[in-house]
Amino acid sequence: MLHKFKIRQLILVFAFILLLVRIKLFVNTFLIILLYVQLFITSPSFAYAQVNFSFIDIIASVSFFVIIIIYSLTAGRRIKLFHRNINFTSVVIILFLSFFFFAPVITDDNPDFQKDLSVTKLLPPFTSVKVLHLKDESTNSENIVDKFIRLKNHVIKKSFDESIIFVDSISTGDKLLYYQSGTVFSIANDRVTFKNNVPLITTKTFILGTDELGRDIFIRLIYGARISLFVGLSSVLISMLLGLFLGFFAGYSEGFIDTVLNRLTDMFLAFPVIFFIILIIALFGNSLPSVIVVLGFSGWMSLFKIVRSEVISLKNKDFFVSAQLIGLSNTKLLLKETVPYIFRPVVVNLVFQYGNIILAEAALSYLGLGTGSSYPSWGSMIEAGQNYLSQAWWMILFPGLALFFALFAANSLGRKISSYFNPQIKA
Amino acid sequence: MVLFLLMTFLFFLLRISPGDPSVKYISPDLSPKLTALVKKSFSLEGSFVTQYKMFILNLSEGEFGISYTYRIPVVEVIKRTLPFTIIFSLLSFIIQIVFGFLLSVIAVKKINGITDRIISKTSLTVYAIPSFVAGVFLIYIFSEKLSILPSSGLSSFDTESYTTIQKLFDYAQHLVLPLITLSLNGIAVFFKYLRDNLEEVYNKPFVENLRANGFTEKDIVRKHIIPNAINPVISIAGVELGLLFSGALITEVIFALPGMGRLTVDAILSRDYPVVIGCTFVAGILVILTNLSSDIIKAVLDKRIAKGILN
Repeated sequence: MLHKFKIRQLILVFAFILLLVRIKLFVNTFLIILLYVQLFITSPSFAYAQVNFSFIDIIASVSFFVIIIIYSLTAGRRIKLFHRNINFTSVVIILFLSFFFFAPVITDDNPDFQKDLSVTKLLPPFTSVKVLHLKDESTNSENIVDKFIRLKNHVIKKSFDESIIFVDSISTGDKLLYYQSGTVFSIANDRVTFKNNVPLITTKTFILGTDELGRDIFIRLIYGARISLFVGLSSVLISMLLGLFLGFFAGYSEGFIDTVLNRLTDMFLAFPVIFFIILIIALFGNSLPSVIVVLGFSGWMSLFKIVRSEVISLKNKDFFVSAQLIGLSNTKLLLKETVPYIFRPVVVNLVFQYGNIILAEAALSYLGLGTGSSYPSWGSMIEAGQNYLSQAWWMILFPGLALFFALFAANSLGRKISSYFNPQIKA
Repeated sequence: MVLFLLMTFLFFLLRISPGDPSVKYISPDLSPKLTALVKKSFSLEGSFVTQYKMFILNLSEGEFGISYTYRIPVVEVIKRTLPFTIIFSLLSFIIQIVFGFLLSVIAVKKINGITDRIISKTSLTVYAIPSFVAGVFLIYIFSEKLSILPSSGLSSFDTESYTTIQKLFDYAQHLVLPLITLSLNGIAVFFKYLRDNLEEVYNKPFVENLRANGFTEKDIVRKHIIPNAINPVISIAGVELGLLFSGALITEVIFALPGMGRLTVDAILSRDYPVVIGCTFVAGILVILTNLSSDIIKAVLDKRIAKGILN
């Protein structure tokens, strides 16, 4: 049944579901873009000060999202890739890509959002919590700056929110009493939002439960996909550049340089890479850039070997010799003659390399040497969950599953690509 | 040669890294004379070049110095963990080889049959499970929920009164979960390589010829296909065993086992330079030895390779 759908249809279904669920966010974002343009004309200095990562992030995600919908409805019809039948791998890849690009659109809270720990910590999946809404004390002035800030608070989610309280139960009276895991708190009636003379109470559901700090695991998972993909892609880029250039250099020049480089690679291959990674990160501190660089530098060896052997065999090919005799420069030889020739093995190697790197990143986070606590990452979520294993299995299961699906998709994508290039291998 | 390069690289990496390991042991009230003495006992005094000279001289005599944290010779520290690591990795290696081999032989009996497809799909799935997720879940299921197997350590608390057989049983109980965790991925890898190789040999014309000559299918598989397919797997097995010897780091951390991997990481984190260098040296030697022995086995099995080496 599933195999009858095309990739394009899948993307559109996802997009429309999201559009329906988050329609308020889209409207607000467009209003905020309009207001921002107005602001930029009237008071540029204030407008500059408002720009930060989360602001750009949400604007970019929403506009990119709309562009994707329009594109796949119009010009995207003609793209061959969109007309392939969907399978498990492509669904997983599309899901993770959409997590990466549209994390702020898919989720409705900040990944670090936490409030009222006694109620929200270590909740199992699908628990609902009652939410008591306090009165909105912001002014309703029509000043453009106030309007902008009000809208911005609606659109960009903060890691704290003073206007809501998570409660177990409440009892009304001349003072409103609310209970948080056995303790009673009271609050004046005029601070709470009332609707039909009853305090306004909504419920908030944590689909995948919460962690030890009361943070929503579902949201953290989706933001964790960003770290995984980002670290993976940048590290693969680094090792690709290193492997390509060193491999080309060694294979092309031969002689002494080739021997030295080859021995050096043997040395790195002989020793388990994970220890080097840990050594370097432990010695020079762990942060996002250092993890990316170290993982990138640790992965070029296999690529180097492939490129080197391919280049050595390439040098005896007629078309390469004639290109050399025509007098092409080294750069042109690399880009025009070598890269297309070694493209296939390199791409296959890089996809597998990508799988290795996200695994290594998660393992590092698991050992506490990852990208730090400022970004949610699957590995660090698993590490945190290990301490609460007997109480909260969901803290490990879901990030573990996410990691598993990502690795599985990367591996099967690599196999698919290699069988696409080389029909003799069966996928 | 490779080992020497590795050691030099490691030495310079450790020395240029920020942070002085002796600071932890020197209080500000200490007299300069004592401070110098502490530095000397850490062999951190003198210029860069003299340090390096001393380092190489000591290394050539098999002397790694004294561990900063444990205050005993590094050789002693490594001696404590090495037997466990070797036994543990050999056990895991045997499990990987045996299961991978059995599964691939079962699968290859009918290529693309239902058993083959089920085992192949399962092995791909197992291959994508990170070892730390698998380990933690095994602990959750077998230790937390069913409470039939211990979750960490190598022996129980009250082993003094046990007889030898009880002790062995105790060790075995503690090693079940770590061995499963460590071996799962390896089984999948061996299965994949062996199966692909077996399939490749299976489709070769000489097999068809044998069949036409009336050999039984069992004989063909056992006497002709397996010996022909096993050669490339041996080099992979060598690399795998080398990696296992250098310490199954993640598994050791999950199950709190006293192995080389955990020793190395602890030493790295506490900047215990002599232990780091010693561990790396031993791991390097083991890796080189396994690669060498896999080459020798290949040469013994296939006389053509031996001839190629001799020529």
